[in-house]
Amino acid sequence: MAAGAREVPNVAPALAAERAVTWPKRTSARFSNGLEVILAQSHSIPKFHGELFFRSGNAAAIDRAPGLAEMTATVVRTGTAKRASRQIEEDLRRIGADLSSGAGADTSAISFAGLSEFAEPLLSLVNELAREASFPEGEFERERRQKLEEVKLNRSDPGFLASERLRKILFGPHPYGQVAPSQEQVAAYQREDLQSVYREFFTPENGILLLVGDFDPAEMLKIAEKVFGSWSGKKPQAKVSAEPLAPRGRRVSLVHVPGAVQTQILSGCHAITRKHPDWVKLGLTNSLYGGAFNSRLVMNIREDKGYTYSPRSSVHALRQHGYFSVSAAVRNEVVAASLTEILYEMDKLRSIPVPEAELADAQNYLSGVFSMGLATQEGLLSQFSTVALNELPGDYLETYRQKVRALTPADLMATARKYLDSANMQIVVVGDRAQIQEQAALFGPLEIYDAQGTPLS
Amino acid sequence: MKRLQIGVASTTLSNGLHVVVAPDETAPVVTVGVYYKIGFRLEPQGRSGFAHLFEHMMFQGSANAPKMQHIKLINSSGGMLNGSTSYDVTNYYEAVPSNALERVLWLEADRMRALKVDDENLKNQRDVVKEEVRVNVMNQPYGGFPWLDMPPVAFRNWANAHNFYGDFADLDAADLRDVQTFFKTYYIPNNAVLLMLGDVKPEEGLALAKKYFADISPGPPPPFADPTEPEQHQERRGHVEEKFGTLPAMAIGYLMPKRRTPDWYAMALLDQALQGSRAGRIHRELVLEKQIAVEAGGGIDDLFGYNGPTQLTTRILHKPEYSSDATLAAFDEVIRDVREHGISADELEQLKVKWRSDYYATLEGGRGGYMPKYGLMHLLACFTLFDNETQLVNTILDGFLAVTREQVHAAAKKYLVNEKRAIVFRTPVRTNAKEAA
Repeated sequence: MAAGAREVPNVAPALAAERAVTWPKRTSARFSNGLEVILAQSHSIPKFHGELFFRSGNAAAIDRAPGLAEMTATVVRTGTAKRASRQIEEDLRRIGADLSSGAGADTSAISFAGLSEFAEPLLSLVNELAREASFPEGEFERERRQKLEEVKLNRSDPGFLASERLRKILFGPHPYGQVAPSQEQVAAYQREDLQSVYREFFTPENGILLLVGDFDPAEMLKIAEKVFGSWSGKKPQAKVSAEPLAPRGRRVSLVHVPGAVQTQILSGCHAITRKHPDWVKLGLTNSLYGGAFNSRLVMNIREDKGYTYSPRSSVHALRQHGYFSVSAAVRNEVVAASLTEILYEMDKLRSIPVPEAELADAQNYLSGVFSMGLATQEGLLSQFSTVALNELPGDYLETYRQKVRALTPADLMATARKYLDSANMQIVVVGDRAQIQEQAALFGPLEIYDAQGTPLS
Repeated sequence: MKRLQIGVASTTLSNGLHVVVAPDETAPVVTVGVYYKIGFRLEPQGRSGFAHLFEHMMFQGSANAPKMQHIKLINSSGGMLNGSTSYDVTNYYEAVPSNALERVLWLEADRMRALKVDDENLKNQRDVVKEEVRVNVMNQPYGGFPWLDMPPVAFRNWANAHNFYGDFADLDAADLRDVQTFFKTYYIPNNAVLLMLGDVKPEEGLALAKKYFADISPGPPPPFADPTEPEQHQERRGHVEEKFGTLPAMAIGYLMPKRRTPDWYAMALLDQALQGSRAGRIHRELVLEKQIAVEAGGGIDDLFGYNGPTQLTTRILHKPEYSSDATLAAFDEVIRDVREHGISADELEQLKVKWRSDYYATLEGGRGGYMPKYGLMHLLACFTLFDNETQLVNTILDGFLAVTREQVHAAAKKYLVNEKRAIVFRTPVRTNAKEAA
């Protein structure tokens, strides 16, 4: 080849043949105490990642206090019958391990990772936290103060304020309607309540243990049996809350933050859970609308108009009810313009079929990103836990991509017509009313609140 | 102890481009990155924020991939992408199914070869960057603390001390000519490294690199900002306002030694003793034992990726019932103890086990589940660009595991001194009306 001759093409090379996507084999077991155990190998690094989930979270404890499951899980790591806090933290470091504990609306969890050579000591520590947490008085009070400060700080976080208001609007008195406890509620937490939540939620019959990493599954299962086998405890009674009513008619709520230099928009509506037959369709529709960088929403209000840095839409699959939301932090002058585009892109999907090429792009994106999880232990763990926690079919991972690729433009239009109705979107804007009130009022009947949630005239 | 050996093949093309391939056929995924050896330090005065704005421009169009095409092609190939700018490097990376490797290389070569952007693109991304600064800094409690507040207090050389997110006036002043000049000067193959990690064979990777990048002309060695700081003889202090939060805050930063000196290894472990995890002394004393602080922690800013003055920093949010003097005194007590006594043998043992574990975790991930091998990519890139020793990835761990108690103690005495530190106090303008007097 002559020196300097250029053979680089002017058009993007075609994709090569796709390599097979193979999910690692999962080993499943159920101990006699009811604990579900799922293991998979991944030898990328000499470590393993794990989660011990309990199928109960803040929603299940709401009648005692909001956020109680989160508070309980937080204090769990601060002491056991055998080890004080300092000992726990140094023992974790000694075996090269990380550990966190927390809870959301539907689950409580202890998450951990460490060197495979110390698997048994790490599992033993997790076991001790799950069964013998002592809730030391001093630690509880310290964590209470931390939580109080966190709850206070939330009131100046625009993203939090928007989310809090939207969840209130969508879910009302349902447990999902309150995203965080108030300062008064945190101040009123009782140690006995944490202990009773712990006894009720942290039981083997209510639990799933997932382990992914550099180990032999048969040997790891033996260790897990040795460590967790003698644990006993029934699962709590399932609490059923009244079905939340989906709000009809588009309304706007403005959370007033004087002097805010930017406005946080959050708009949403009821949707579906992961078990719903339309889940994959809605996921693809969402991705094409605003769930990917190369999506209608992002290309419009960020790349074309420069209104915002990170607009995104999401489908949130809480266990009992799902919801859809679209979020954008925008320049104050373009609140109305941004809302117009957000709603326009929804309406467009309801009436104009998505071109085949654009649909194929979106399908390839979702399909490709789905298999990224294969490449890391954390990614694998995340995929397996989604399947386990939502009780999805055993071949969910293996069949997801073909389900995505089987969808048509007609499917997307039907899905948009069913779930994305601009006339029924609930809109929240968090910002300075002096700058945005007039703009917000253009989109529906307006209610105004301060950052504490008190209605303003 | 299980030994981890990363297979790495590397070469340098005739135009100066370093190429590194780290094969791993476990998953049908490949992570590709291009690192350019430039960062915030070399932004001229009047153009603060330029390197980051320029990074945005790199996604706005190249000769054969006009605006939006780059992102569209990566996403529609099944992948995700991003970029980042820091003090000494700017990187562009994507993780894609491995059948898209050739396409990704074509895209990266296209934008290394010729950026094609216009005034409209520039105006658009300037607007986007301003909203980025607003959402991450200006409209957030403790936004930009301490990473934007500390440099002007800690450093005297503008290269190290300025606002690298950019004053809005400077962002407004940046024009297309600046963009093109910056591109021609710094975005040349001999100032860069191309990395491929995952489902790619070394021969294949190197052959594709040649195919797509070999024709790109090198440029004259670019001028770099001199990051030399005048020697510091006295503690430095600064004060800024916190507009939203009610907890007073402070950040303390100590100057770090140069990368890969013996002191550097010791400081890395000392940093972990002080603030790695909840067992770290600072968190233990200030949050758990004395309960003065609600948050206390930090670290060394990009241990492997810095190539100029940097700090070991601690960020503290403390209860308002404690004065900042009392909080600083509690922090100083932790420092005094480690300067006087060093760390225990048992402590060092624990730290080394954790260090090894964290190193492995870095190799596999480092940017969540969607950007596999980001950490490995970062190490390989920095070892190539700054040390000219790509294979360090397999030997550097030994350096940390060989650190002795005496070395950690000596490092504490040498570096954790008031004369070599800077402190920023961030004071709330609000008091919480609900708080009892």
